[in-house]
Amino acid sequence: MLRPEINELLTETGPGTPMGELFRHYWLPALLAEELPEDDGAPVRVKILSERLIAFRDTSGRYGLMDEFCAHRGVSLWFARNEENGLRCPYHGWKYDVTGQCLEVPSEPEASNFCANVKLKSYPLVKVGDILWTYLGDPESQPPLPEYEFVHVPESQTYTSKRWQESNWLQALEGGIDSSHVSFLHSGQLNTDPLFKGSRGNDYNKGDLKPYFEVTDTPGGLFIGARRNAEEGHYYWRITPWVMPSFTMVPPRADHPVHGHIWVPIDDENCWVYTFDYHPVRPLSDDERSAMRAGHGVHSENIPGTYRPMANKDNDYLMDREAQKRNEHYSGVKGIAIQDASLQESMGPIVDRTKERLVATDTGIIKARQKLRKAVIALTDDGVVPPGVDPEHHRVRSVSVVLPHDVAFMEATAEDASVRPGVAQTTV
Amino acid sequence: MARPILHNSCARATTAAESRFRIDVPIAPCRAARVIGLDDDSVQVVADAAHEPWRTARFYACDDTAEAADLPDPDDLRLRDLDRGGMRLGDELEGVDVTVMVASNDDGAAAASHIGLACSLRGITTAGLVLGSGSSVAGALASLRPYARVLLVPAEPDDLVHLLTALRA
Ligand code: FES
Ligand SMILES: [Fe+2]
Repeated sequence: MLRPEINELLTETGPGTPMGELFRHYWLPALLAEELPEDDGAPVRVKILSERLIAFRDTSGRYGLMDEFCAHRGVSLWFARNEENGLRCPYHGWKYDVTGQCLEVPSEPEASNFCANVKLKSYPLVKVGDILWTYLGDPESQPPLPEYEFVHVPESQTYTSKRWQESNWLQALEGGIDSSHVSFLHSGQLNTDPLFKGSRGNDYNKGDLKPYFEVTDTPGGLFIGARRNAEEGHYYWRITPWVMPSFTMVPPRADHPVHGHIWVPIDDENCWVYTFDYHPVRPLSDDERSAMRAGHGVHSENIPGTYRPMANKDNDYLMDREAQKRNEHYSGVKGIAIQDASLQESMGPIVDRTKERLVATDTGIIKARQKLRKAVIALTDDGVVPPGVDPEHHRVRSVSVVLPHDVAFMEATAEDASVRPGVAQTTV
Repeated sequence: MARPILHNSCARATTAAESRFRIDVPIAPCRAARVIGLDDDSVQVVADAAHEPWRTARFYACDDTAEAADLPDPDDLRLRDLDRGGMRLGDELEGVDVTVMVASNDDGAAAASHIGLACSLRGITTAGLVLGSGSSVAGALASLRPYARVLLVPAEPDDLVHLLTALRA
């Protein structure tokens, strides 16, 4: 249970809100690089932290992210012409460069300097890996670029997709750090999904529905260890890192690529789920890549030309009661991503956490909320830089491992849980 | 075959405006919670938390380590209720949903095993908070690990209050 004012504090991320200020200390995914594939291509509307922006790539290949609306009379620059190193509003021809600086106001005299005083608010937009990242905060405190492993391995080893989720970001994140739902909601997929099957861990997962949990506080967030019974005298551990504010990685299975998510608030009732899969030491195979494109694993099959899943709120997520009865899909909804999305969206756009009835095994979620709340307060009151801003905090990995009963996972897996270039993930 | 049933269902009724219509009935608290400090530092944290207005939580110290070591029946473990004095563990677990153990070192290892056993026989969920940092944490962790369904490591002193609040204790 959360008090209503704390629920608001954690879920509202628009300009001027305390949580919004926290988010404005991080580099955040604004788009996939594939959305701006070419110079002078179509501009893309981006809404992030409740700010409406336009992204484009100019004639020289520079990326820009700025106020969506023309300074003149407020036309959306989505209709603009992307030409000769700038976006030109089609209404009266005002033109802007990637920094938002107005370059031309055709109605003014040739010698006029009028446009020098017109500048749209703009933010940096930088390609790291397959993602275009932005930073919406004070330029004075802009941190170094993100160092998550999935954006730094060679292109052939990584794949990122995204999908629109019609819920607040926090309930989506909470799903990501809630390891106990996997044995239920996703149970149908563990032995069938091409990106999951064939892992010994799947049997431990299904053989022990009452995992024990250890929630470990770290400088950048948390490590959440779920332990299940394995062979005599041993536990099977699945270790999920959370890096503030919204990065998680799913513990690996066999030699499958490792996946994870970043949740980015669009506004208070919608978020983008960026989903990645990468292998630290080998290229993804053609089969793996096409499975990811087809929405297997933790990816989604989207309506072509959009990032909205085919199975969505408007068609009841293509609920299949027969498949539910056959235990093919535990909830009747196909696909891990949509299983999560359907349930998280069903809670309402911003779940009312005053009505929850949590249990002790929700301690990971309880602690994550406290860390967010404390970081917001420390930032607001004392200007303390929040956890997860320092790129050092990004160099984490998820782990799955079988350990003897008397071994503590945090000590035993300290190396496995951090990025080691050229070394494969620790997995069962 | 998938059969979209949108038009005769309430899938749309999850807008923010519609969410206001969620039935508003009082939510029952946790049946009962027990919080036990296993060493001096932990008992201090437990005593601080006990000052909050709880509905069903009771707070204890179990810091007589010598006594706990070779006790044949875990139910006979002696607790000290912070308000009501000496108690027997077995008498305090009636109708309990969750028992939270708090430890800052390994002094409470024997007590933790008794509490864990007594709770598991009764189907009571156990949680453990490990206070502090450094080498003392390892001992506390090792003593709680086998008996706590969920462990928070390291826990800050106010985590106890946040956990109990979230559990409606
Ligand atoms: S509104 Fe854009 S040029 Fe007029
Ligand atoms: Fe899930």
